[in-house]
Amino acid sequence: MKAEGKRNIWREYQKEIACDHFYYQRSCIRQNFFPASEKTFLKILRDELGKDIYDDPLHTTCTGIGYHTDVVPFDTIQAVVARHFALMTEAGYKNMAISCVTSFGIYSEITETWKEFPEELEKVRKSLKKAIGKEFEVPANIAHASDIIYKFKGEIAEKQQFELINKQTGKPLKIVEHIGCHYSKMFPSKGVGGAEFPHVLSGMIEEWGGEVVDYPERRHCCGFGFRQYMVQSNRGYSLSNSKKKFESMEPYMPDAIVANCPGCNMFLDKWQYTLAEMQGKTYGQNGKGIPVLTYEELAGLVLGYNPWDLGLQMHQIDCEPLLDKMKVPYNPEDKYLGANKKYIGRPEVAACLA
Amino acid sequence: MGIVLDLLKQDVRFHEGLKACMNCGVCTAICPAAEFYDYDPRMLVSIVQSNDEEAIIELLKSDTIWYCGQCMSCKTRCPRNNCPGLVINVLRKISQELGYFTESVKGRQQILIKRNIGDTILKTGYCIHPSIVKPELHPEQGPVWEWVYNNPNDVYERMGGNFDKEGAGTLRKINNEVLGELKAIFEVTGGTLLFDKIEKFSAMKAREAGLEGTDGNIDKYIEKVNAEDKI
Amino acid sequence: MGKSIVTIGGGIAGIEASGILAELGYAVSVIEKEPDFGGKLKNWDHLFPNMRKAEEIEDYLSRKGKTPGITLFPNTTIASFENIKSGFVLKSNHGVSYSAHAVIVATGFEVFSAERKEEYGYKIYDNVITSADLEKRLKSGTPLTTLAGKTPQRIAFIHCVGSRDAKVGNTYCSKVCCVTGVKQAIEVNKLLPATQIFNFYMDLRMHGLEHEEIYKTAQEKHNIQFIRGRLSEVSENIDHSLLIKAEDTLSGRPLKMNVDLVVLLVGMEPGVGTTAIGKACNIEFNQYGYLKIPDVHLAGNLTSRKGIFVAGSCSCPMSVKDTIEHARSAAFEVHRYLIEN
Repeated sequence: MKAEGKRNIWREYQKEIACDHFYYQRSCIRQNFFPASEKTFLKILRDELGKDIYDDPLHTTCTGIGYHTDVVPFDTIQAVVARHFALMTEAGYKNMAISCVTSFGIYSEITETWKEFPEELEKVRKSLKKAIGKEFEVPANIAHASDIIYKFKGEIAEKQQFELINKQTGKPLKIVEHIGCHYSKMFPSKGVGGAEFPHVLSGMIEEWGGEVVDYPERRHCCGFGFRQYMVQSNRGYSLSNSKKKFESMEPYMPDAIVANCPGCNMFLDKWQYTLAEMQGKTYGQNGKGIPVLTYEELAGLVLGYNPWDLGLQMHQIDCEPLLDKMKVPYNPEDKYLGANKKYIGRPEVAACLA
Repeated sequence: MGIVLDLLKQDVRFHEGLKACMNCGVCTAICPAAEFYDYDPRMLVSIVQSNDEEAIIELLKSDTIWYCGQCMSCKTRCPRNNCPGLVINVLRKISQELGYFTESVKGRQQILIKRNIGDTILKTGYCIHPSIVKPELHPEQGPVWEWVYNNPNDVYERMGGNFDKEGAGTLRKINNEVLGELKAIFEVTGGTLLFDKIEKFSAMKAREAGLEGTDGNIDKYIEKVNAEDKI
Repeated sequence: MGKSIVTIGGGIAGIEASGILAELGYAVSVIEKEPDFGGKLKNWDHLFPNMRKAEEIEDYLSRKGKTPGITLFPNTTIASFENIKSGFVLKSNHGVSYSAHAVIVATGFEVFSAERKEEYGYKIYDNVITSADLEKRLKSGTPLTTLAGKTPQRIAFIHCVGSRDAKVGNTYCSKVCCVTGVKQAIEVNKLLPATQIFNFYMDLRMHGLEHEEIYKTAQEKHNIQFIRGRLSEVSENIDHSLLIKAEDTLSGRPLKMNVDLVVLLVGMEPGVGTTAIGKACNIEFNQYGYLKIPDVHLAGNLTSRKGIFVAGSCSCPMSVKDTIEHARSAAFEVHRYLIEN
């Protein structure tokens, strides 16, 4: 493997990312499963980087999961997205920061459609006006939230408390990055580093001291498949695709997986548990799973945030082995406590992963 | 030209998704669905490209169009800038508009999705909400999710969320005014109409199969759809 | 006759056309940016369809280049191009002026930069090489091994790399890669008879009398396996072997295979030299970036400007054989033009 070849490709895909003044579009899946990641993102932007980002109570789902499960028509999702543009315009913003890769793909597809077929844009303007009386501007810049962390990865490194280094061996942590299909597979130029060798996460990992694992099924989908997961009888599709990835990354003995897309984050975490239950097999070291982090969690750990403030206790795969390697301090007693250290019960121990 | 070809050509995504296919197979090569199901996006595109109305109608009635997982990996690779995944979206839309989706096991699942994701969108303003990820239906979510599900207020509060409350923040309650706007958009843009069609054609199929309850409910039908039983 | 000609490019086409015109009595200056002449020929080992050594053609051209009346200017590029009443004045990077009654552009092609087909991992994965790389290795006579020095058990030849591909901007067929792939597969089989060889293709464009015969021979005598499916991606395994994915379109199933070496059959592209000279001479390009000929049937050596002619693969992809024929017809067109004017 020659790293120079990848660097040449990255130079081809230098996407423009706004510097400041963002309108935040939250993610359904991230809010459900990694709620602290969105909080961490806002905290990093506001407190660490001094940026202005607006968290609007009036925005909704983009309906992306509905669209890709085909119960929401294209005309409808276009208008829902247009409503968000209207809210952004009304709030005085021009730059979108999108928390979800599916949403990011939707926003990309819709704005590209409008460029190619201006009559679609006109249609949407009319229908939005008719439905709710709103008008909108198309954003000047649409970034995925990870693009913004990528852009400021150097600033984060300056404040770094913990390196992505195995303190027990002194070697860089081996980290699998998973980008999420809708980040750049549809529009390679809209992703940092393009579609084949995306750099958005690998750039963060390398900047903060880790080593990226390039394994054969790196580009393969996590297996979400929208209707293939949402309908219970189709879930074998979802599971088998994740399994294929785990089998492929296993020989490299990764210390962690970092994902870009909230759906992938959830599946790569939960399917490891399911596979452990089903076949008694785990893919991490010492009979454990491979911890799966969001990029916000990764940045938070690097910045020295408390792992339980980052929400690592919401993962099914324990992150403690990773914290131990990085020598990040944590109090096991606090892991499952609620706010103000309130005891709220704790999850049952997962047998195969204990 | 028949009605299906007309509908295909009216959809802007069909023009984006299919220019001309040379049957090279790069899409199938990396398609997660092709590996899991007996499915070949290249052949599907070939059928659509044939302009054969009857063959396309057969497709709309089949399981084939429901296998795609919408990852859109095909788009990255196609040397002719086609996107089979986008063609699929159009076929699925037409299959639901014309009621063909109830003819296949996988197509019939649309009623499950409409009642789950579709209704949740209009009810909560989210595609996914903790209330619909019931542990008994999602064993794969594991014990940690069960703990979250049973203690949503406490867990989301610990995570700095604003669960089910007014104002901004994670999993905030989306107020009725906003939900009203969402509903208005669905009504004006055909979203509500599509929901209604999925319900209508599913009810028709249930009736046809003698699976309709006396009060018009289709619970039995849904049970069979869930189990992928023959109907 | 006293008329002078400048040929830009000292590859196959440039030398062949210039040689004929010198034989006819013209004074021909051949401008070549490289230190030596013969173009890409020196990189090729054997030529299809008859597997002759490329050196034989090199020798022929070397003799042709010594025809009285030809002056060769190596390490020379054109800095400026001017129209005068009797023709053209070209100035070189060395400050030398050349006046010409006619100009032949014979700037050739470039091999497609395979790193632009990102999903194949050229210049990233250790054991992904191009057909041009393989030709050099065959010519050098060193054993064909993986980067780690292992004899490959399986090799895959990948057709249409950089051709028929809107993603890389080349929608045309490069014409020579199909037969090159089969030729090279046969050569590798002769060197490494125990190695399994697979060619992944969309269509095998084995036109004419001889090419189809090569294909048949490859199957009958060399056990080359042909899989109809374009390669979708290459990734690297932990042991540096390669995982490749295609669809076997004849059986309609996705196919995954581990191989030790991947050979990318790279197509042709107009080179930076062609673009620069075309712009300097102010002649038109076609939609693919090659020099535009005004009539595909009847004016294959003319350009959009009178007195400027084209020879060889700067007008479209061509084999060595086609290039020589095209150069000869260019010489004829120039001769006719100079007689008439």
